[in-house]
Amino acid sequence: MALSLSNFLFAAALLPSLGGLARAATRNYDFNITWVTANPDGAKERPTIGINNQWPIPPITADVGDRVLVNVNNQLGNQSTSLHFHGLYMNGTTEMDGVVGVTQCSIAPGQSFLYNFTVDQPGTYWYHSHERGQYPDGLRGPLIVNDPKSPFKDDYDEEVVLTFSDWYHDQMPPLLKWFISYANPTGAEPVPDAALVNDTQNLTVSVEPGKTYFFRMINIGAFAGQYIWFEGHTMKVIEVDGIYTEPYETDMIYMGAAQRYGVLISMKNSTDANFPFVMSMDETLFDTVPDTLNPNATGWLVYDSKKDMPQAALLDDFAPLDDSLLVPHDHEKIFDHVDYSFNLDLTMDNLGDGANYAFFNGITYVPPKVPTLYSVLTTGPNATNPAIYGRNSHAFVLEKGQVVEIVLNNDDTGKHPFHLHGHAFQVAYRSTENVGNYNGSVPLIQTPMRRDTLVIIWLFHCHIEWHVASGLIATMIEAPLDIQKTISIPPEHYDTCKAKNIPTAGNAAGNTKNFLDLSGENISVKPLPAGFTARGIVALVFSCISAFLGLAAITWYGFGDLGKNELAAAQRRIREGGISLQDDNH
Amino acid sequence: MVNVFAVPIFFICFRECLETSIIVSVLLAFLKQTLGPEQDKTTYKRLVKQVWWGTALGLIICLCIGAGMIGAFYGFGKDHFANTEDIWEGTFGIIASLIISAMGAALLRVSKLQDKWRVKLAKALESKEVKKAGSGHRIKRWAALKRWAEKYAMFMLPFVTVLREGLEAIVFIGGVGLGLPATAFPIPVITGLMAGAAVGYLIYKGGNFASIQVFLIVSTCFLYLVAAGLFSKAIWYFQNNNWNKIVGGDAAEVGNGPGSYDIRQSVWHVNCCGPEINGGGGWGVFNALFGWQNSATYGSVISYNIYWIVIIVCFLAMRYNEKKGHWPFLKPKKNLDVEECDDAASGSRAETVEVDVEKKDHAADRATSTNVRTIEG
Repeated sequence: MALSLSNFLFAAALLPSLGGLARAATRNYDFNITWVTANPDGAKERPTIGINNQWPIPPITADVGDRVLVNVNNQLGNQSTSLHFHGLYMNGTTEMDGVVGVTQCSIAPGQSFLYNFTVDQPGTYWYHSHERGQYPDGLRGPLIVNDPKSPFKDDYDEEVVLTFSDWYHDQMPPLLKWFISYANPTGAEPVPDAALVNDTQNLTVSVEPGKTYFFRMINIGAFAGQYIWFEGHTMKVIEVDGIYTEPYETDMIYMGAAQRYGVLISMKNSTDANFPFVMSMDETLFDTVPDTLNPNATGWLVYDSKKDMPQAALLDDFAPLDDSLLVPHDHEKIFDHVDYSFNLDLTMDNLGDGANYAFFNGITYVPPKVPTLYSVLTTGPNATNPAIYGRNSHAFVLEKGQVVEIVLNNDDTGKHPFHLHGHAFQVAYRSTENVGNYNGSVPLIQTPMRRDTLVIIWLFHCHIEWHVASGLIATMIEAPLDIQKTISIPPEHYDTCKAKNIPTAGNAAGNTKNFLDLSGENISVKPLPAGFTARGIVALVFSCISAFLGLAAITWYGFGDLGKNELAAAQRRIREGGISLQDDNH
Repeated sequence: MVNVFAVPIFFICFRECLETSIIVSVLLAFLKQTLGPEQDKTTYKRLVKQVWWGTALGLIICLCIGAGMIGAFYGFGKDHFANTEDIWEGTFGIIASLIISAMGAALLRVSKLQDKWRVKLAKALESKEVKKAGSGHRIKRWAALKRWAEKYAMFMLPFVTVLREGLEAIVFIGGVGLGLPATAFPIPVITGLMAGAAVGYLIYKGGNFASIQVFLIVSTCFLYLVAAGLFSKAIWYFQNNNWNKIVGGDAAEVGNGPGSYDIRQSVWHVNCCGPEINGGGGWGVFNALFGWQNSATYGSVISYNIYWIVIIVCFLAMRYNEKKGHWPFLKPKKNLDVEECDDAASGSRAETVEVDVEKKDHAADRATSTNVRTIEG
């Protein structure tokens, strides 16, 4: 996953400037973050993070151009939190992006934090906690930006939001503790316990015959990719991750964690039967599949609630839409040049504590002492030097308006959905599995699909919450000197840091005098010792010495003559055996 | 090549056979040298028979278990045996290590006797008659157990060794063999066993050439190296069992790299040459002979060193006892006269027949001898 501090890398010029600002409203949300007890799959009650003592949490809805105010009050008591608005570009309001350790300090229990931003992009988004590993405990919900000027607004009658999620019976803190520990050296991600649609199972969606519905579908899960299909109905994809596409018909889609699809589905003209729709978790991501796991969750398009809810047919194999076939509705061409290109090579490996970590170019992410945005604002001209952001922030400094090409080589065996904050990216090429690293010689798609979260099997990553925890993150710092001029941080943001004694100025180590002195910065665990360390050599030498001394003792004993006692004992033993001592050899 | 000769299988058979054949050949050479066919044919033949019976019986039992295991594997589709593999490897390893340690000292001591005493001793071991079994119930039982162990030692050692090595070979081959065609088995199995047996034969022949004392010292040294390795490996296996439980599966499945070992226990680790992967190839031979591990733990290193320290202390004490007539730190007893051994021997019996080298055995002996003195006093 890549985090951007400023905005407009690829998409800036492409979003039509939105008129109708006169209609702009302000949407106020007061969110008290609280613990509630929930049991969405009917299998286990568990503490869940809700809002205003409710779970599932409410959607945030707005029209294009609206100002959104989300006043967060953390009443969890035992955990810090934050909110990230996934997919919003946050142009000019980077400080509202909600990423702990990058754009803010986490909101301590009892603290409040006001998110204040303008939404100027239509589409299907979601919001979730961006505190380490927290959102799968419940703090994630849809964020819908309605578009009065949608090119498809006349093509449907009603709109339905469907969230799809994996679900764990255990809370994230213990799961994370196990996940990144010596006891899990292969980095096997915890396998979900259930699949949920709209945070429940056996969901019924009442539909009317002959109407067309706009389904906004969001994968708000922590880990699992999901296959989704509606029996007897065809989906017409018109939006992915907030970008309108040319309509494309398909029977099945695959959504990686954090991805969204907007599809139109026309209902049948009769009410003779109800139809199941299914989400099926991608089990190839799971290290082991427990016998007890039901990877599917079924819902129904209900034409007539008095009729049966038929069981969904089981499929032998999945044939989802290849999303690289989608064409953006605005037909934006591939950028004709690239200003800056770099590789991110993804690997998984173990460090010295025996736990498994994820790496880009050999660097696993560790949040800096000072949130990166605050370092940008307080380091003057040094802000353009990636070094000041710390080794494990893995910072790339970009210039404003640059066309950047990121080549992501996935040397891991799994699939990873990569997400870039603040931008949508053109997906110019995605290889099939196991074809080796990108070599620059393949033909690129001329009107490439754009999205903000992308499942890459070979080239790219990451919105698997486990991998965020294990460090699969790099930081993109765009136009830092412009940020210094345009952004001012509300004082209450700094109060959040003060409550936790987190420094808000200086380089990654909090050094405000010498920005290149990073002593004391947060760094990753040391690598595993290779082969023999001093300890091993000492042990081996001692073992050899004791073996040789032992052999010497045996040899010395072997050459010594037999004492009187031994002879007497042998003689006695012989007598006991009834053998005469006297008449030997005669 | 791979279709007719699977290299890992060759090494597995070689290493397992090597350890067995070393022990069998040392025992046979020992018997030939000490008793010899020309000195006492019946006793010699009986003891040689014991060695071969032990070998054969061990082989038959492990073949039966192996057949059952493979049957169970294909029957239930699950490797039940593998779950407890580390436990029995560890247990057998400790037992074998203790037996070898006890036998080694006994062999070395016997070699010091003049030929005539040796032959008589061998006959005495064979004899059913037992005179002067000592006084006190506990001593009787202890002495009976000891006699039994002495009598069948030549059977027990090869039996336990073959059983352990054979089961190990079956588990390893079972693990490696799943992906191989059936044609890849016969040649490496036969050549591996032959190579191991050949080394054993050379040792046996070498024993006939060297002087008995030199041969026995060298071969005893070798036996103790094996025993030290076994002891260390046994501890390693117990720890590995714990680690497998922690990671919830066979850690060796991830290869030699990170995750195959518990970082908290690691003293050294090299990402290769692990004896658990396909038997370890050439490194497996070092594992079989000296207990080499690519991933040493505190347990395996400390137990290895402790083993040697105990062995050194025991041999020093035995030598002290030979020279002074009593154990270190114990009150000296009245000097024994060999000619008058008839009467004098009973007083020191419990100590001087002592052949075990483990500390606890000494402790038991001390208790026994105290007991004897009290009764006599």
